[in-house]
Amino acid sequence: MKRAIMVFLIVTLASLAPPCLALAKTVSSLKLGILAYRPDSIVANRYQPLADYLSGRIGIPIQLEVLTQDEMDRALAANQLDFFMTNPSHFLVIRSERSLTGVLATLVRKEGETATSSLGGVIFTEAGRDDIQTLADIAGKTVATPGMDYLGGFLAPLFELENAGVDARRENRFKLVGTHDRVVRAVLAGDADVGFVRSGILEQLEAEDPTLADRIHVVNRQDLKGFPFVVSTRLYPEWPMAALPHVDDEIVRRFASALFSIEDTYPAALAAGISGFSPPADYHSVEALARSLRVAPYDQVPRVAWTEVFEQYRLWVITVSVLLLMLVMTALWLGRKKRQLGKEQKRLRRLILSWPQPMLTLSDSVFMDSNRAAVDLLQFSSPLSLIGKDIAAFSPRLQPDGSLSSAKLATLLDHVRDGAVEQLEWLFRRSDGSQVWVDMTLAPIHEPGEGEPFILCSWYDITDRKESEQRQRLAASVFEHAREAIFITDSHGMVIDVNDAYTEITGWVRSRAIGRLPPLPLDEGTAVFSSCLQQGFWRGEFASKRQGGQRYMAALTISPVRDDSGSVTHFVGLFSDISKLKAQEEKLRTMAHYDALTQLPNRVLFAERLQQAMAQARRQDYRLAVVYIDLDEFKPVNDAFGHQAGDELLVDVATRMRAELREEDTLARLGGDEFAALVVNVGDTEALEALLDRLLQAIAKPTWVASHSVRVSASMGYTYYPQPEELDGDQLLRQADQAMYRAKQTGRNRYCAFRAGESGSE
Amino acid sequence: MHRREFIGLSLAAGLAVSGLGGCSRRKPLQFGLHPWIGYEPLYLAEEFGWLSDDVKLIKGQSSADSIDRLQSGTLAGAALTLDEAIRVHVEGPELYVVGVADVSAGADVLIVRPDIHSIDELRGKRIATELGGVSGTLLLTILDRADIAPEQVVIVDLPVDEHLDAWKRNEVDASVCYEPVASLLEDAGGERLFDSSMVPDTIFDVLVVTREEARSNPQVVSDLLEAHFSGLRYLVRNMYDSVYRVAARQGVSPDDVRSALATVMLPDLAANRRYLETNGRIDTVARHLSRLLLGEGLMSRALTTPVLSNDAFLPGDAS
Repeated sequence: MKRAIMVFLIVTLASLAPPCLALAKTVSSLKLGILAYRPDSIVANRYQPLADYLSGRIGIPIQLEVLTQDEMDRALAANQLDFFMTNPSHFLVIRSERSLTGVLATLVRKEGETATSSLGGVIFTEAGRDDIQTLADIAGKTVATPGMDYLGGFLAPLFELENAGVDARRENRFKLVGTHDRVVRAVLAGDADVGFVRSGILEQLEAEDPTLADRIHVVNRQDLKGFPFVVSTRLYPEWPMAALPHVDDEIVRRFASALFSIEDTYPAALAAGISGFSPPADYHSVEALARSLRVAPYDQVPRVAWTEVFEQYRLWVITVSVLLLMLVMTALWLGRKKRQLGKEQKRLRRLILSWPQPMLTLSDSVFMDSNRAAVDLLQFSSPLSLIGKDIAAFSPRLQPDGSLSSAKLATLLDHVRDGAVEQLEWLFRRSDGSQVWVDMTLAPIHEPGEGEPFILCSWYDITDRKESEQRQRLAASVFEHAREAIFITDSHGMVIDVNDAYTEITGWVRSRAIGRLPPLPLDEGTAVFSSCLQQGFWRGEFASKRQGGQRYMAALTISPVRDDSGSVTHFVGLFSDISKLKAQEEKLRTMAHYDALTQLPNRVLFAERLQQAMAQARRQDYRLAVVYIDLDEFKPVNDAFGHQAGDELLVDVATRMRAELREEDTLARLGGDEFAALVVNVGDTEALEALLDRLLQAIAKPTWVASHSVRVSASMGYTYYPQPEELDGDQLLRQADQAMYRAKQTGRNRYCAFRAGESGSE
Repeated sequence: MHRREFIGLSLAAGLAVSGLGGCSRRKPLQFGLHPWIGYEPLYLAEEFGWLSDDVKLIKGQSSADSIDRLQSGTLAGAALTLDEAIRVHVEGPELYVVGVADVSAGADVLIVRPDIHSIDELRGKRIATELGGVSGTLLLTILDRADIAPEQVVIVDLPVDEHLDAWKRNEVDASVCYEPVASLLEDAGGERLFDSSMVPDTIFDVLVVTREEARSNPQVVSDLLEAHFSGLRYLVRNMYDSVYRVAARQGVSPDDVRSALATVMLPDLAANRRYLETNGRIDTVARHLSRLLLGEGLMSRALTTPVLSNDAFLPGDAS
């Protein structure tokens, strides 16, 4: 099909030829450059007929230029060529440097009767080099090649070597000798171990020198049926013929037309050893080769490769870039976080270490770290004393609740390890043996599932609080259990709390007592609070009434309670029921002044009254008399009828005597059967003696005791006061006693007056 | 003679034995192959070392070898024509078509005596064909398209390599055959009336694997296809080299290879995807062929599985 199109093209071009002649006239000559892949003269001889043929067909003289690669590059740079033919690799380099129209046609070579538009490379050594049999053997050997930009002469063999694992460009030394002929010569001369030439060269040389075949050994020979040349590599398209951009389109068409018209019988073809030209080949495989080997024009890999790679792997590149970016950002972020974390950790540690409250960290139930406050609390000198030990080591064996410290701790730590926060009061033993109460908080600071459990332990010294609690409990106990009634009022005196004794004494139940006034003395009332404030306390005894109206005596003490600023907030009152005490007191007093049997004043009270009466007598200037009375023959009554009867007699006699005296006079029993009477405001002696007679008669009356009538008499002595000389009560009573003694002596049942000087006779 | 074997008669017999147990970790995929231009990519892949160690090419002379070995269980895959694949699948073992090696586009032809000018005129004529092969399939397709019942023609079931003699003995009026017989018949005065390029996308050469292998060893199947496409790329892009290699292997001239290449289309990866998609072209053609073959009694049973193709093993990206 393609061939048909070409034929059509050629026919069309041929028909267009005449009008183009005019155009062609403006161009005097054209230059065709051909690569000198062999010695100049040989190439010139081979291709001159072609140039002549083309000149004839186009109508413009075509000048053949046989150029080395360098020369061709320079000529192209100077725009001195119009058409050129070179090897495909060199063409690719040129094409990449200049904007060419592409390939006009591809050369079809001919060997014998076989035509081909493929070329390859031949890798050969001198015959007999047994050391080089395979491609791998070439590693490290010296290689002769016409030049780097040769396809068959360099790149194709190089590719095979690299495929065989030989990195020839690193391991081999290359001799760039310029042409294929020189490569063969270099190998034969021993200047190089291995030679690279393009396919067809050896056959051409053999035609000139038939012995060559025996002197050369081809390595990696390919068995390709139908390919007319010996070859060591895979094949690539033959040489391209190309036009330069400045050449007129018409001329290019006519040139191409002429090329395609060449038949293998034409002299031009015969001389060049070609069968003609074929439509442009696909040079993709050559490009792929150059790319794979990274040689010109694909040696500028980085820039080209990057954009290509980007175009081809856009998604991957973007994805990888984004991932990398994210990685970098994550790394930066992590770094910053780590620094922050480090700072925070340091801050946290500082915080714990400098915190005024004791704080410690526990790991696996032993102290790992401790701050100063904790060390101080336990009265150690260094945290080292704590680290590595457990809490139980600093606790008494038993906690106050009776549990073993170690056992209690074990359960506690189990809870905390499971994530609970525990708070409790704990008793520690300091290094000096004293005990200290702390409020201990244990909190887990490890993540759940983290291998080693970390626990933060903080202590708060509550020893003072514990002691104050103790005092309070004591006070409360006192308040509750005191026998004395205790009440607490507000600053106005209204009761706000009372104890049980209060209820017991006052009869008011607690709820009724609160909000009322406490028992207070009736005369003073709430004024007692004012005096309490002035004096700091108030104390008094007073009568009060119970809830039921029953009277009792209360002894009350009230004290003010002041707050921190000194102002009174409460009063505390304490009182007791002293009714019984008062009665007892009365009884004792009675017992001290009266005779228990006769209920008459005794000697003590008599003496007091005598004292008072003497004072009164002196003040009011009247006389008083002291009478001493002693019963006669009382002892026989006692002996005969018993003490009981004696006592009854005494009571009876005393009652009768008392009845004879005036109310203001005093009769006292001095002891046994002795009595004394104090008669105040005595008139004359007759009046007194009349009284004494009445007394004797009253005493003498018979008395019925123990079923018997008994009669007793009495002897009496008396004296007056005042007397000329001052004397006391005792002296007076002694005077009366002396007078009574005389009455006894003078016959009993009579009375005698004291006579001055009588005392001297005693 | 089975189709696709004429071109490679000179193949060295030694190549057939290459299943050297190099790899003990996994049983390599034994893949049956015979010379045919469409299968050349796999040969090229092997030559250039692009074939994974897990894949062993078992080279036979014709597809008949591959079919026998598939049915005896020594092969887990093979290169076959689609109609062969259908027949094997129906008889067992069950297969998957995992790749399309080529599509006939003129390789199979109908050569007739010069007095026959149209398909319609085939009625009543003696037509040589090889019913068990792809030429039989083409004949049935031609008759089907022209609405000619197979009973309306005289089918002479003859191996393709005997057609020329039959032609010369005037025993047949027409022949469904392929190169080189086709050219020889033309030289003997026959005329080309029809070729497979007129029924595009109908005659397929495919790569098949057993379903068992596809299930148990999917990576190896992928490796096989990877190698096929590498070889295909080389065959197409480096044609200045590949034709010589194919020619060398098949023992023909490079020009013969070029001609052969002109009669087939070698679908690339993208085209393979299209062909192999579920209920795509392969499945459609397979169902159609199955009906034709069954109608002619060339197959014992109908194709029960609606889906024969499987594109899961194609390489991920064409690079």
